[in-house]
This record gives sequence, C-alpha cells and structure tokens, in this order.
Amino acid sequence: MSPFEPTDVSEDSAAVADDAALVRDSARPGRLQGALFQSIGDAGRAELVERRLAGAITGGHLRAGERLPSEYDLARTFGVAPTTVRESLLALRSRGLVVTRRGRNGGSFVTESADPVAHARTALAGTSRLALRDLGAHYSAITAACVRLAARRAVPSEVQQVRSRLNRLDASDLEQWRSTLDDVQIELVSLSQSARLTREQMRLQAEMSPMLRLIDADETSRSAQYAQLLSVVDAVEAGDDHAAVAATERMVDAAIDVLINLQSRTH
Amino acid sequence: MVTTTTTTATETASRAAAIVSQYFSAPIAALEAKAVQLSVELAASGRFGELSSQQLDGLVEPHALNIIALPDARVYGAGFIAAIGLLTDERHHLSWWQGEEPKRLLLAAQSVNKEHIDYSELEWFRVPMETGQGHVAGPYVDYLCSDEYTITVAAPVHIDTAFVGVAGLDLLIDSIERQLLPQLAELGDKVTVINSVGRVVVSTDPHHAAGDAVRGGALAELARTACDGVALEIIAA
Repeated sequence: MSPFEPTDVSEDSAAVADDAALVRDSARPGRLQGALFQSIGDAGRAELVERRLAGAITGGHLRAGERLPSEYDLARTFGVAPTTVRESLLALRSRGLVVTRRGRNGGSFVTESADPVAHARTALAGTSRLALRDLGAHYSAITAACVRLAARRAVPSEVQQVRSRLNRLDASDLEQWRSTLDDVQIELVSLSQSARLTREQMRLQAEMSPMLRLIDADETSRSAQYAQLLSVVDAVEAGDDHAAVAATERMVDAAIDVLINLQSRTH
Repeated sequence: MVTTTTTTATETASRAAAIVSQYFSAPIAALEAKAVQLSVELAASGRFGELSSQQLDGLVEPHALNIIALPDARVYGAGFIAAIGLLTDERHHLSWWQGEEPKRLLLAAQSVNKEHIDYSELEWFRVPMETGQGHVAGPYVDYLCSDEYTITVAAPVHIDTAFVGVAGLDLLIDSIERQLLPQLAELGDKVTVINSVGRVVVSTDPHHAAGDAVRGGALAELARTACDGVALEIIAA
C-alpha cells in the first residue's frame, strides 16, 4: 500500500459534487474540480483529512519540523469544518506524526522524528511484488507517454534548462537530491505540453518518490538511475521519441528491480 | 458593397497581429501597474525586512482579485511570488489567487505536495528576476499554480534596486483559444499565433495544435509578423 494514497470520496457525493463542480468551473477547460485540489465529501471526513496529511508526512512531502497550514486554511482547502480538521490533527498527534505548540509562533508541526525513509521501508515490506510491478507498469506507461510527446514538442532551451539542473545535482544531501530529481522529472514531463498527462504523472511521482529514496540511499543504484534519466533527457533533446520511451522503460524497470530486491531482503 | 481587392497574407497577418496585441494589452498594462503599486506599498509598509507571509498575503490580495476581475481577457489567476528568503516565516511563498470564485492557493494542502517545488527555476520567475524586465512565459503546463496549459505574464518587483519578487497573472490557453479563434477565423486565411521559441499558441488551421513547435514543420519557412507589445508572432498562409 502506498504511503501516499489518493483520497476516496463516497460515490454518491462525488457524483453530485462533480456536477456542481462542472457548472462552477466553467472557467476551467471542462475539467472537474481536479484531484489536485479536491474537496473532501461526506462521511469519515476527519479520517480522510488525517489520511491525506499522514500520507504527505510519511511521504516526506511535509518535512520533519515543518509547520502545517493553520486549521482555518486546512479547513478551507479541504472544504470541511475546522472541528473536523481539529479531530484529524488529534489523531495525527496520537500517531506521533504531528506536535502542537502554543503561543506566538504556535501551530501544528510535523514531528522531528518523522522519517520518510523509515516509512518507505515499512511500506515496501508491507507491499507485494505484484503491487510493485503494477505500480511500475503504470508509472512507466504515463511517464513514457509524456517523454514521447516531449521529444516531439520540446524546444532546445527548455531541455537545456532541465539538463543544467541535473548537472548541478550533488549527492551530499540526499533529501535535496530526491527533491530536485522529482522536480526535474516533472519539468521534463511538462514539456509534453499536456496538462492531463503531467497531472497524472505528478500523482504517480508522488507515489514512487518515497520508494525512490530507498534507491537513492545506495550509491550504485542511485548513479545508475541518474545515468538512465540523462539518457531520457538526451533522447528528448535529440527529438527521438522512440529512444525517449525506451530509455524511460529501462529506467523504471531498473528501479522496480532494485525495489523488489530490497523487499526480498526484508523478508 | 462587394470589394474587388483580395486580402493578402500580409494584410491578414497585420490584422491578426492587431487582434492579438489588443487582447494582451490590457492584462499586460494592468500587471505592470500592479508591480509598481506593490513596490510602493511594500516599501511604505515600513515593515520591509520583517514581513510575514500573512502580512504579504493581506497586501497582495486586493491587487490579485482586481486583476482577476479584469473585463475582456479571462484572467485565471494572479498574485505575487516572493523572492527566496524575503519573508520572516517562510523561505518560499506564493501569494496567489485563482479560480472562478478566486481562492488563495495553498500548496502544502494539495494532494500532491507542491510546497517544495523550487519556483526560482521556473521561466516566469527566473527571467524577470535575471533581466529586471517583464516577460510573457508559455504556453506551458503550469503544474505549480493553475495545473492547466497556461500563459503567464510576469513583471519583477523592486524596492530601489533590490529584487523582492515577481507579480504575475495566468491566462489559460483554453480561454485564449475560445476568445481569439472566432476573431482570427473571420480573417479568412489560415492564421497561426506563435511565441518567441516557435511554439503554437493558437491556430485557425486544425493541423496546427497549441503546443506544436514550428521548427522543421510546414510553417518553419513562412514569414512572421510581430505583435506590438507582446512577444508573439503571426504566421498567415
């Protein structure tokens, strides 16, 4: 099970919410109020808010020591009552993921001990090879679709921007390494000029990212992944869509192989 | 009355350029005015150097909502993106409003956490910061703010010579297409609007899609007509 799962809303409320969203969001190109800024619906709201925040914390997207948005802001974003947010924060506190400080610079903060790598190891141990391979298949398919388009549509200056960020990468800070690589991956897929594909790839990148940290921790695997990503960039720059797809598939296959290997060692 | 003169591709291109310039002129002017106002207000706040994200939001909000409410061009989002390390409480901060009923953008609460995306690398921030000039970025997929295919108009904000951030507004390509296509189609010839790196913004020719690069394609060799006031060009066939 991914530490960063998407939020489920009950079917009926989702259908009603979608219709209302369609009417409301006529400014948006026919897209429903997207998953990226999704209102949480009816039952089990506190649990859903808790799950989303916990996912962000264990996935390393909210960092140790980081301040959470205010209860009011969270309530507004998720479309729930502040009391619901308070309920979920209570649960997160009891899970040891969040601490609350009072006073002038008070608020809720991610605990210092929240360790995304530890959480990723637990998540990996708790998942199956089947689930890992299927995640790989999904991630590979979407990312490949993006780079295929990027190879056809990117202009040289854009790809050079991506390349220069990759060149500046420094393995001495693994947190920064993973952050930057995720950023670069998303920037690369955005060169597809497809908003839909980019949004989907971002969700998958968020799912993969915690586990990619486990790969980052090993120098050999990390370097191999980096070299493979560079091949993708090379292919995109050359305008070779077939090569870009092939390089992406190789990169993801290799990542899944490493993860399956790591997983078998924990059993 | 029937006219006997034929419209040449050059005439079409000029007319198309005028239409495009007109479309962008109000948003660009409004944004540049906002950049100046923000500079004045930030300096006058007296708290410059000790500003919190909440205080900045309070200052920016009326300006952002004002730009979104501009008639004619459908501005989807607007706001101010702070220079890295400007604020006392957050190293990175976007004071950004967007949507039909404009809401403040909250990055940390998104289902895909965007708070750690380094916006200093993104074109609409980087170019105004480096050049000290306004810039029109895109079309591009704006995965930080709008999540849609977007053109961002951006202007740097300075206090004296110090760069303090970028004022920006988003126009969705979808809206641009809906508004410009009917006007351009009336011109008769096939009209394609491209940006400064040769990417199609909108075209009355269905064979040219927004996002396509003209490089190496059928349009590559054709003459281009510049649009006044905005870094876009017209190709008329």
